[in-house]
Amino acid sequence: MNAKSLGIFGLLVMLFLFMVVMTSDSWTNIFSSTFLQSNNLENLLRRVSMYGLLGIGVAFVIITGGIDLSVGSIVCLAGCLLGIFLQVEYQPASVFDVHRAKAASDTVLVHGNADGTYVVGDKLRMYRGRQPALLTVQDVEAVNLADSDGEPIGVGTVLKVEGLSRDEDSGQVAKAFEILDFGRGQGDQAAWVTLAGVPFELSARDRVAFFHPSLGLKDLVVSSASREGEVSTVEFEQALGERFSKDWMAMPTARKQRMAIPLAIMSVLGIAGCLGLLHGLLVTRVHLQPFVVTLCGLLIYRGISRWLVDDNPVGFGIEYKETLSPLGSGKLSLLEWGTGDAAQAFGIPYPLFVFLIVAIIAAVFLNLTIWGRYLLALGSNEEAARYSGIRTERVTILAYVICTVSAATGGILFALDSGSISPSSFGNFYELYAIAAAVLGGCSLRGGEGSIFGVIAGTAVMMLLNNLILLLKIPDRLEFTIIGLVILLGVTLDETVRRIAARRRAMKSSQN
Amino acid sequence: MSEVDTPLLEVRKIGKQFPGVRALNDVDLIVQQAEVLAVIGENGAGKSTLMKILAGVQMPDRGQVLIDGEPVMLDSVKVSLDSGVALIHQELNLAENLQVGENIYLGREPNRLGFIARKQINVDAAKVLKQIGLAVEPTTPLSDLSIGQRQMVEIAKAISVGARVLIMDEPTSSLSTAEAERLFDVVKDLRKRGVSVIYISHRLGEVKALSDRVVVLRDGENAGVLDRDEITHDNMVRMMVGRDVSQFYARETLPIGDIVLSVERLRTPTWPEHEINFSIRQGEIVGISGLVGAGRTEMLRTLFGIDDPVAGTVAVDGKMIDLKSPIAAIDAGIALVPEDRKLNGLVIDMSVRHNIGLAALSRNRLAGGFLNRAIESRDATQMIHDLRIKTPNDSQIARFLSGGNQQKVVLGKWLAMMPKILLLDEPTRGIDVGAKQEIYQLMEKLAKEGLAVLFVSSEMEEIMGMSDRTIVMHEGRITGELQRSELSEESIMQLATGNANKVATVTN
Repeated sequence: MNAKSLGIFGLLVMLFLFMVVMTSDSWTNIFSSTFLQSNNLENLLRRVSMYGLLGIGVAFVIITGGIDLSVGSIVCLAGCLLGIFLQVEYQPASVFDVHRAKAASDTVLVHGNADGTYVVGDKLRMYRGRQPALLTVQDVEAVNLADSDGEPIGVGTVLKVEGLSRDEDSGQVAKAFEILDFGRGQGDQAAWVTLAGVPFELSARDRVAFFHPSLGLKDLVVSSASREGEVSTVEFEQALGERFSKDWMAMPTARKQRMAIPLAIMSVLGIAGCLGLLHGLLVTRVHLQPFVVTLCGLLIYRGISRWLVDDNPVGFGIEYKETLSPLGSGKLSLLEWGTGDAAQAFGIPYPLFVFLIVAIIAAVFLNLTIWGRYLLALGSNEEAARYSGIRTERVTILAYVICTVSAATGGILFALDSGSISPSSFGNFYELYAIAAAVLGGCSLRGGEGSIFGVIAGTAVMMLLNNLILLLKIPDRLEFTIIGLVILLGVTLDETVRRIAARRRAMKSSQN
Repeated sequence: MSEVDTPLLEVRKIGKQFPGVRALNDVDLIVQQAEVLAVIGENGAGKSTLMKILAGVQMPDRGQVLIDGEPVMLDSVKVSLDSGVALIHQELNLAENLQVGENIYLGREPNRLGFIARKQINVDAAKVLKQIGLAVEPTTPLSDLSIGQRQMVEIAKAISVGARVLIMDEPTSSLSTAEAERLFDVVKDLRKRGVSVIYISHRLGEVKALSDRVVVLRDGENAGVLDRDEITHDNMVRMMVGRDVSQFYARETLPIGDIVLSVERLRTPTWPEHEINFSIRQGEIVGISGLVGAGRTEMLRTLFGIDDPVAGTVAVDGKMIDLKSPIAAIDAGIALVPEDRKLNGLVIDMSVRHNIGLAALSRNRLAGGFLNRAIESRDATQMIHDLRIKTPNDSQIARFLSGGNQQKVVLGKWLAMMPKILLLDEPTRGIDVGAKQEIYQLMEKLAKEGLAVLFVSSEMEEIMGMSDRTIVMHEGRITGELQRSELSEESIMQLATGNANKVATVTN
């Protein structure tokens, strides 16, 4: 910790005390402070952790004398990619796409050869069309399909069916199964059904859709399943309900997750790392200005994110409620007090752990390894570093990689915390928060200066200001203005103090 | 006091302090009307600072400047110009993208309602150009002019302002002989017309030929004044150095060992048409002389791996090294103390310890890439002791050291690596006399220990005093080598100006 980060730490403490006093009923009862409410503090810690990851990353680039403006877009891209990689689909058994269904001739034309998969007497569920229907197969015949111009488009199958009530030109058909036996589920007893002929083995977290021509649809999550010969026994957590009977049909669906969670996270971080590598190469080898490179990154990654998900919101929903999402939104409960309506609890948000790990690694890297020293040296004087035999280009590239990877780490946590993100706005302006935090924390945009501790304190100050605006009911239209003014004040003070100190030091050494 | 006796310009007891250096201490200077006054002194003697004060670029801490006997506050370049003092910078301050006329009137363009009166500029500029005898049109783009012509434009600019005292800082450093001759004529002509010239130069021959009086500065103080008939080479050197030259460069002739560095057919990107061949032996001190721009720095940069060579090889102990980056050179035992220590030598905002440790970080690292702080600290302590670096402690920021101590830090960084070959580019530039002598002693000591020392210097005294053998360069090629017995200012100058044929033998 140097003198510069002491200054920002002082500001942090003052701001903290100011918040406590301003949000308390009276001077004597600081525990009435809305600021000190446990959920406010938890929230604050969570935000500091997530924004802090961005700040630490960008600090590395700033130390080299560069800048990374793409942080916000990287956050968005990471969120979107995670959503895509972890997308879950439920695939029913023996499913085919409908090409055309004609009620008049009782035929359904599907893509692909369904002969053999479907046999006469099979029950099919047609769904995702305009009107779901339960069909019984009367005849199966493979044909060649042609489009409206008569051009062949592959193999198809004509299904002669019973139960079609109107024409369709989209949707899917899949096999439906009769319910052999069932238990509704009462008290401790779990609901269960037995089905025959399901072509795949069901397991926990798969789903079974039950439907009835007049009573509607139910979608239940499998808690456990077993199979004996052709007969599958499936248990559910939810009950089947009073109106359930053997007249319902079952359509089991297998859960398909694109990637395992660790692989998805590693892929997101890996892609982000590659983008950082690209930034670094463009800066060091092509000699483009960091500002330009990362400004283009800001635009490109935002566009790619929106294109990848068609501008639709990306959600993690309930699929990861108990597995991954808590990493962003959960906490480790520590204290509980009060009862009934006054019950309160305080816990440490999980992102704080991620943040602390990253911060410790970053601080060790910067202060105790030769690469950290290289970074500081080349940021201060790249030529002198090169003349000393340091591979300055490699170290600079490394800084850009660190920046995008830690921005992506932040992006993953932000996405998990909010549960659903909108690619057009998620992460907007986050780069400015990160840069502001790094500058407040003592990083010089000229390079060569910066401490991890300072960046953490800088982030905390930014988040406290944000909280202040909320709690003191200052119109949030003024948020950016207030943050801007405080940063300006902070760096002005810092620069003034430094000049005075430098002059004093110069006077002292010239007297020697 | 009668009007005639009042000097045009007088400097009384001027003092100026920089962090860690006392640049000027009670310096006096008198400039009479229509005289050429040479100000000489070694680098770091305070000449440039004094001139910057007169030009209004820097403010003195103490003392007074009088013009026509009246005290003036030269607190900006404009005030100085208005008082009739103009400085022609070492690095020319002209806008390359403008025309000659526009450059002459830059910043004070005659205008009508804010629109530049281009015609008037051209007419006026033509007059001034004619006055100094520069045969170019005012509308010529400056970028078409040679360095010498550009200097004339600077002079024209100063005259057009009505300057009565013209300060020329190393005006001939980058001029050809013909251009320099032309400049001397202009200076003499200016004197005839009543303008005074303060002439700063390292070239004592010029000073002797041109000046009416010589003021010598040493370590920021007045070392003496020489009148017209006292201006001799020896007098000037004695005053500049402050002691007998032969004592200052105490050199013993040492036995030398095997060839340690050999450079063959090396072609630098700056002068790709010329091949450079030479070698150095263990324990030898080789000086490289030449005029500014002769390609000496470029050669060092190339053989150290900073610049990519066009062709050629460099071998250490017979083993060729990869010239793509300095890493191979450093691993092979080459060290380079660059010309500009603030730009290339030091990380000036880092501590003395970190600077000394910088090059050896990778060599000394612990497993996992962790810093070996014990070794770093030990090296720093040892270098501070061995090189007598004046610093309160090893965590002092390098910026706050004096030039000489900064140079020792750069040296310390390399000596901690125990190199075999030490390349020094202008090793004593901008440092005081005391530190200079320490550096010379150090070079001597290192050579005695078996290092090969190769140093580039623009100071003739230094070359003649320190080198066992001197390589002279001119426009990117080696024009000759001189053994210690063959060294003279004249023999070096002949080779440095490209007259290789005038030197009897070129020894290898």
